[in-house]
Amino acid sequence: MANSPIIQGFRDGLAAGDLLLQKCNSCQQLNMYPRYACPHCQSDDLGWQKAAGTGTLMSVTVLRAGGPEGFEQEIPYALGIVKLDEGVQLLGRMAPDEDGEWASYACDQRVTFQPARDKTYANFGHAE
Amino acid sequence: MAEQWPSYVDAGQPNDPVFVGVGEIPSGRYPDRNFIGDLTKVAILALKDAGMAPKDVDTILLIPNLHGFADQADLVFSRMVEELGLNRHAKASLMIHSGGSTSDNAVRSAAGLITAGHAKTVLVLHCERWGSANLAEMVTALSKNGIPQEWEQVTGLQFNAVGGLITQRYMHDTGSTAEEMASVCVTLRKWARLNPNAMFKDKDLTVEQILASKMISDPLHALECPPLADGAVAFVMTSAENARKRGLTESVRIAGSGGCVSHYSIGQETNLSVLGWPLAAERAYAQSGWGPEDADLAQVYDSYAAVTTIAMEGLGLCPKGEGARWFAAGNGDPGGKLPVNTNGGLLSAGHTGVGGGTALLVEGVRQLLHRAEQPRQVEGCRRAIIGGTGGTYMDAQVLLLERVEG
Ligand SMILES: [Zn+2]
Repeated sequence: MANSPIIQGFRDGLAAGDLLLQKCNSCQQLNMYPRYACPHCQSDDLGWQKAAGTGTLMSVTVLRAGGPEGFEQEIPYALGIVKLDEGVQLLGRMAPDEDGEWASYACDQRVTFQPARDKTYANFGHAE
Repeated sequence: MAEQWPSYVDAGQPNDPVFVGVGEIPSGRYPDRNFIGDLTKVAILALKDAGMAPKDVDTILLIPNLHGFADQADLVFSRMVEELGLNRHAKASLMIHSGGSTSDNAVRSAAGLITAGHAKTVLVLHCERWGSANLAEMVTALSKNGIPQEWEQVTGLQFNAVGGLITQRYMHDTGSTAEEMASVCVTLRKWARLNPNAMFKDKDLTVEQILASKMISDPLHALECPPLADGAVAFVMTSAENARKRGLTESVRIAGSGGCVSHYSIGQETNLSVLGWPLAAERAYAQSGWGPEDADLAQVYDSYAAVTTIAMEGLGLCPKGEGARWFAAGNGDPGGKLPVNTNGGLLSAGHTGVGGGTALLVEGVRQLLHRAEQPRQVEGCRRAIIGGTGGTYMDAQVLLLERVEG
């Protein structure tokens, strides 16, 4: 997959410790996942806005078997769908509890973005 | 909303598309069977069931396999025309693909071709070799279906985790217990025990066994995940006029059809415990003029228990939020209030890839033709609701079918 500006921009944000949301410079709407043209107004004048990082956990699961190719050794890990306070949502990984498990997570909890510089996806943990 | 979705073609119109035959061979692990051999077998079975021969078919519509590109290419480039001896006779051989809901879209496509006069008789074919394929390769392939590579594949998301995310939210929103979720799988197994073509026709299943099985993707246990299977199914559709001319005294017509594509990636679904079902159902019922209370059976996609309970609720077949408890009370069982997935569904008849939904559809048509084996046959059934979805449950597809006599 050749990296496009929207993929690179999002990942550059993560590398700098920021969760970036695509923002349409024409209609000011936020788009997640980032798009090649704004789904609201079809403009290709697209930029970025730094997310506050806080949101609500819509669902969470811990994958314990059957990791896809390249992920076999990482099992188990937790995946969550987070609706950010800005109104858009995305799927990311959930940080483990101190015991290495994820028993503390439940739907509708408040969560927050946790910078992890070597990742290509967003990590979330419990909000303070 | 209703006026946006006009009635389906009137019953009795010459070009009203009808189902006239089905064919199927057992699902499970059959390493000695052959892809093209199985397709040929079910094609002939379905045509015989319709009182037809290959020469009666002018269009072949193919439902894809997911086990490999080489076999897919055979289908795309019209191999089945040659296998069935239809060289120069066939007008078209083509493939339709929308993942697990392909059967619903194949029906719509065949129906459109027949109604518009582009085809007289359409043979729809599917074969999958998942049960005999390399499991690790299939897991990897499945982990790319409906999962955007740049945004979600990088997290390690895969199909059972998608099922886990939906199930988690469904249980949270409805207060359904692990026992109640497991009971959906038990109902399906009871049906599979009555289906000679089902993968698990010889094996009982209990809630206790399910809850004692290994956790795969919380809250899903191993015995709540669909078993990958080999399998093949076929069905024949023609015009009502042609069916009459051929002296066929029973057929199945489409009373209504509705669909809703709610998302592509699971991370963008804004209502994980509802999905597109209420909209799809509203669109279908507006066409049919009949509703969920009129159905004699339902055949609803069941890769995971929550996928089915969410669909059943959206279709109005059980009270909102009560789907799992509705199954736990035995309502969907053999002899229950409303038979559900009488072939055993994907979870107990076997997950044959894109064909899991096709097998559910074929069983619905078979029931309405009153050709299911006893005691599986739902006595005197006249109306069936077919619900299809797949992938990340990005779409909800509804077909309302009814029996035609004379
Ligand atoms: Zn815009």
